[in-house]
Amino acid sequence: MNFSNWQEQQEISGFLFHEARLLDEHRWDEWQRLFTPDGLYWVPLVHGQADHLNHASLFCEDALLRSMRARRLDQARAYSQQPATRTVHVLGNVALESRSDTGCMVRSAFMLLEWRKTEQRAFGGSVLHTLEREGGEWRIRMKRIDLVNCDAPHEALQVFM
Amino acid sequence: MTIDLQALVQPDRVHKRVYTDPAIFELEMDRVFGQAWLYVGHESQVPNTGDYFTTRLGREPVVMVRHTDGEVHVMYNRCPHKGAKIVPDGSGSAGKFLRCLYHGWTFKCDGSLLSVPLRSGYEDTRLDLKDPQYSVRKVARVASHRGFVFASLSADGPELGEFLGGVATSLDNFCDRAPDGEVEVAGGVQRVIQRNNWKIFFENLHDTIHAVATHESSWRAAKEEFESMPAGTPKPFEVVIVDGNGEPLDFWEKLELKGYDRGHGFMEGIFVPPTDPVSRAYVAALEASQGAARADEILRVNRHNTIVYPSCSPHTSFQQIRVIRPLSVDRTLVEIFSFRLKGAPEATFQRTLKYTNIVNSPSSNVMPDDLEAYNRVQEGLTSDGGDWVSMHRAAGRDQALPGGRASNGNSEMPARNMFAAWASYMGVRAGDAE
Ligand code: FES
Ligand SMILES: [Fe+2]
Repeated sequence: MNFSNWQEQQEISGFLFHEARLLDEHRWDEWQRLFTPDGLYWVPLVHGQADHLNHASLFCEDALLRSMRARRLDQARAYSQQPATRTVHVLGNVALESRSDTGCMVRSAFMLLEWRKTEQRAFGGSVLHTLEREGGEWRIRMKRIDLVNCDAPHEALQVFM
Repeated sequence: MTIDLQALVQPDRVHKRVYTDPAIFELEMDRVFGQAWLYVGHESQVPNTGDYFTTRLGREPVVMVRHTDGEVHVMYNRCPHKGAKIVPDGSGSAGKFLRCLYHGWTFKCDGSLLSVPLRSGYEDTRLDLKDPQYSVRKVARVASHRGFVFASLSADGPELGEFLGGVATSLDNFCDRAPDGEVEVAGGVQRVIQRNNWKIFFENLHDTIHAVATHESSWRAAKEEFESMPAGTPKPFEVVIVDGNGEPLDFWEKLELKGYDRGHGFMEGIFVPPTDPVSRAYVAALEASQGAARADEILRVNRHNTIVYPSCSPHTSFQQIRVIRPLSVDRTLVEIFSFRLKGAPEATFQRTLKYTNIVNSPSSNVMPDDLEAYNRVQEGLTSDGGDWVSMHRAAGRDQALPGGRASNGNSEMPARNMFAAWASYMGVRAGDAE
């Protein structure tokens, strides 16, 4: 499925770039406000995972859990954030997956570089955003991130991807 | 090089080298992991004939396979021909027999050699296909406790039941909590890499007083989250399991710790059993199958982490097992398996996974601060800033139990207890850990 026109593609890509920038700049409050009240942030544990209720995940966070994470990251005594994790997202391959009455699903590919203490880690995969139009603004109903190495052993994953 | 182990272990303190010396790590693989009963997996991971699950016992890659007669075997994942690993790492089904990918030697699911291509080529050679050395080598001993499969790489030593001692009750209660009396592994396995010696992780499991300090960022975030909710909101499960770490030191003092011979132990449950609709539906299901009196008896056994030294930590009331696999002197893999209580409502299992996701996942909000602490210990111990690791707190105040000892919750008894076991595996004495 294609975007209906150049403007639509620009607008949605621009939304995704903005979201990524909020994360890279640790603007957690603004990022959380991008979600619908029932919006889910989900990073499956295995490839092709169909279910987030009956299978463990890497992240599976509703508004409450996103807010708890954001609050923790900002605590003075978040020892594992001394120093804080720094990230940069690179997005590409933005494509329209499907369209509905209220919004659309957009797939993109991402690379995430993460730096903390002495080491750089790289993550990558594809993201499926389920977006809804709300009062002229886009909102995220679901952000699903499929890491290419989701089922690998990981060290701590502290910040939102 | 010889190491004077005796000089490194005292009843109330141990030398930093036991956490940092690669040569001691190798000795541990031989003497601790080579002797103890180690957790392999749960029988439900290999439900059908030919199903396999691979793992490591100490340094040894092994595979657990269900044989045609229903029995579960644990053998080295190594072909007796030229040494290829016979099954790939992970889990799956090998079908009716195991066939090596390299030259097609074929084995029954109990490891015995079934056929080789070009059998005639072995006539009149010194290789006798009937010789058991041409079957897949089994680990020395395998035994199961209510579906939990353990193996020992050594032919000698106590039977599994004697080995487990007082912590067998944690595995029993793990199953008794299922309305049908059985559990099964489900929902995937999470894997976390830690940059610390495996013993630091074990010692933390019953190190109660670290919680309020180390986990301040997460328990404060959880408390603030709850305070931001409208007055009268029942405390969500997500908050309960995170803000519990913020209890004051006198709360932990009142919990009872038990230590058993061979390094095992457990800690009383730190959470008051919840009374929300999910929990009530579960209790109703347990009462329906077991009767109210028995259900009450089962649920009264309220435990936080249990230590089955040196390989795993079951969490009885949230249906998880963490399996600890040392990778090197300063790297440890922890694998987290979740279990379904057979006969319990689906929502009970979904809550188990919620606990897995929130507390044990690599993305846990709680664990990164533990990992940071472990890592700073590991790095600090390589320095010349001191030689000894203290385990003095409440030393000499333990109460004797049959096959073990008990203490109040703030004691470092569990660490002393584990080191007494460690020393005895390693062939030295640490006194009697008082
Ligand atoms: S190595 Fe297995 S058949 Fe040759
Ligand atoms: Fe902790």
